[in-house]
Amino acid sequence: MPRIPLGEVIETFINFLVTNFSFLTMAFTRIMESVISFMENTLMLLHPLLFIIAVSALVFWLTRKKGLSIFALAGLLLIWNMQLWEATVSTITLVLIATLTALIIGIPIGIVAALSHRVNRVVQPVLDVMQTMPAFVYLIPAIPFFGLGKVAAIFATVIFSMPPAIRLTCLGIQQVPEDLVECADAFGSTKWQKLFKLQLPMATPTIMAGVNQTVMLALSMVVIAAMIGARGLGGEVWRAIQRLQMGSGFEAGIAIVIVAIILDRVLQHLGSKKQ
Amino acid sequence: MKRSVFLSLFTALMTLMILGSGTALAQKKVRLAYVEWDCSAASTHLVQAVLQEKMGYEVEILPVAAAAMFQAMATGNVDGMVTAWLPVTHADYYERVKNRVEDLGPIVGGARLGWAVPSYVNINSIEEINYHAARFKNRIVGIDPGAGLMRLSEQAMKDYNLDKMQLMEGSGATMTAALDTAIRRNEWVVVTAWSPHWMFGAWDLKYLEDPKGVLGGEEFIHALVRKDLKKDKPEVYNFLKNFEWKDAGQLQMVMAWDQERGADRYENAKRFIKENEEQVNSWLK
Repeated sequence: MPRIPLGEVIETFINFLVTNFSFLTMAFTRIMESVISFMENTLMLLHPLLFIIAVSALVFWLTRKKGLSIFALAGLLLIWNMQLWEATVSTITLVLIATLTALIIGIPIGIVAALSHRVNRVVQPVLDVMQTMPAFVYLIPAIPFFGLGKVAAIFATVIFSMPPAIRLTCLGIQQVPEDLVECADAFGSTKWQKLFKLQLPMATPTIMAGVNQTVMLALSMVVIAAMIGARGLGGEVWRAIQRLQMGSGFEAGIAIVIVAIILDRVLQHLGSKKQ
Repeated sequence: MKRSVFLSLFTALMTLMILGSGTALAQKKVRLAYVEWDCSAASTHLVQAVLQEKMGYEVEILPVAAAAMFQAMATGNVDGMVTAWLPVTHADYYERVKNRVEDLGPIVGGARLGWAVPSYVNINSIEEINYHAARFKNRIVGIDPGAGLMRLSEQAMKDYNLDKMQLMEGSGATMTAALDTAIRRNEWVVVTAWSPHWMFGAWDLKYLEDPKGVLGGEEFIHALVRKDLKKDKPEVYNFLKNFEWKDAGQLQMVMAWDQERGADRYENAKRFIKENEEQVNSWLK
């Protein structure tokens, strides 16, 4: 039986894109790289101690939870003490840019998918592919488009972490009780009024759960992203794995966990507060 | 009103960035990729140090996966690298990119592949493995499936008729971890190995004899650069062409410095430059 040349077709397609469009994506990379280094440098300008105190204060202001603020303070001090501060700042920058991008693209798609049955039918299988395709499969083809380093890493992270934002936004809007929607219709509200005054507010907790998942998935990508030169905490972990330095591997791993817990709790709180 | 303020801010920011990237291009910059292997890191940091300290370039070195390193070379995303193991280990990767890179020849020879055991294992040849299969728990600990070493090891399994053994796939890290565990327990273990590698410094190991010569002879570590480097940065091209270690021993020496507690590879590279002034200057001619 003849073998279906699926791999060859995909490779030809990617090569076609590379030869014709990579000048655009490479220009994009150059701009993004300067944005990233600008953000990193700004964050690094602050003395770590100041930064840590500011973050802990911010956490308290956002959540009013003493325990969490103390955890943030102690955790970040531990990271600083382990001499992983620079790596952490770099990772936070990367995760922030990646998740913001994922949300800016993802939430509107989720809304559209919730309102249109047809869009939904197209989006769902695409999401399945995005979530289950092993990240390394598109990391290597991403290099000709975005080069080695942070931009390619962000690209991979966005693809990997966006699906929950879309899915849960869609789900949240679809779960708004039918009678309330009918009620809004009966009072003659427009489509936009219905969306912004009823459906989105009602769906906020679910959407925030999606946001939360997106952040967590983005953080879980940092080690894979390090394989194409993203550095940061993921780079520290990856180096330690390759050199069998269990201790420093765990140190960097713990730093990732600390960042994750802080982000997770703050976001969860923001989500539940709106209810 | 608000929108126009935002717009002007945005344009200002974009202009700044475009200007910024423009000046960045004007500076003398070099990008090198490498893999976190000891030999690769030692060579790459030395190249970085020479370019920065002696030639006034700004050098970015990117630690990546081996596949990513070759892919980046092929697309011209990095200027070069000094970690291509030829003719065998990286043959697969090299075959795919050879039309798009320029091979500047070996920077060091005397590298090799083989199967290694802790020195307390009292056999000396691959031919004896099958007889002791049970003591080795019927397995040979391998690395990532894509490596040339694994392809050769599969061939060796056939050629030596090691029917009681199984070649386990894993990664460089799992291989050294398995070795570490076995040595702690004083157990017998055989791993697919290559040198220079830090494991030969960390533990007392020996290569098994390979009378049929399946695992290849001497390997060379080559420097590769992107096709247009000669035109764009002739100085860098020239240096990388001249760059080479005196012998494998010299590279091993720097690798040993890097293994010391709290070692800084860049500082060690600077130390090498200071101690080998003449050799370094000969690269710059």
